[in-house]
Amino acid sequence: MDAKFINPFLIATQNVFKTMLSTQINLGKPSVKANNLTLGEVTGIMGFAGDKKGTFTISFSKECATYAYRAMIGEDVPTINSDVVDAIGELTNIISGQIRVELEKLGINLRASLPTVIVGQNVAINFITPLPVITLPFSFDDGGMTRQLFIDFSFE
Amino acid sequence: MEGTVGKTLVVDDFATMRKIVKNVLRQINITNVAEAEDGKVALDILKRDPADFELIVSDWIMPVMTGIDFLKACKEDDAVRKIPFVMVTAEAQKDSVLEAIKAGVDNYIVKPFTPDKLQEAIQKARAKPQRQ
Repeated sequence: MDAKFINPFLIATQNVFKTMLSTQINLGKPSVKANNLTLGEVTGIMGFAGDKKGTFTISFSKECATYAYRAMIGEDVPTINSDVVDAIGELTNIISGQIRVELEKLGINLRASLPTVIVGQNVAINFITPLPVITLPFSFDDGGMTRQLFIDFSFE
Repeated sequence: MEGTVGKTLVVDDFATMRKIVKNVLRQINITNVAEAEDGKVALDILKRDPADFELIVSDWIMPVMTGIDFLKACKEDDAVRKIPFVMVTAEAQKDSVLEAIKAGVDNYIVKPFTPDKLQEAIQKARAKPQRQ
């Protein structure tokens, strides 16, 4: 996987969090994923087709997911429910759109599917491609607590 | 915003985005809102009483009937073609924007957006002279 493909995912994710959630998220050290299991409790999944094919996921802990809902809607939610799942699906959709805009700047045109959201940790994901899966860990401050979320992607 | 806006139809398959759009509309005193989860449901609502609606805010990527097909159906229908149509979508690629403009969209806003940006897009769409 060419390192230049990390930037579109980085820029898109940071932009969406800043604009829709008023939240600055910071990238940690990217790594090659050791398995194909979900890292968080709620994971949005989007497939890509077109000039390339592949998959990207965005995975949230329970605290991260409820934070995202609160930041988007302005309402507190105590736990993961259907509203939170819906919000993560829409967030996945919006980030996917921005990733495709950034990749278009590199001459890569992609179409996206409808997002899928799964609830549960350590759920196996089929990333479609045989290439390694890259993990981008992001962190942000939630009232003094550091929260993490993970973008995983692979495409060829 | 100057003037009042009658009933607005918000179309998105995600309840979250419908809530976000409704929150923004409320900030500009648009509180009379109907919702639909796809283009087909939206079209059915509009056709029941087209004169009741003064604004449409729609997503693009939706199951059953997409936003672009919904837009084309609206602009082909004499009873609803004059209702300002704002597309609010994650589809930001140039071809998508051009397709929507060709189909007669009154304004186009890309997600993610700030409340100010959506309000501005709605104002501009409403200010546009509508085709007869």
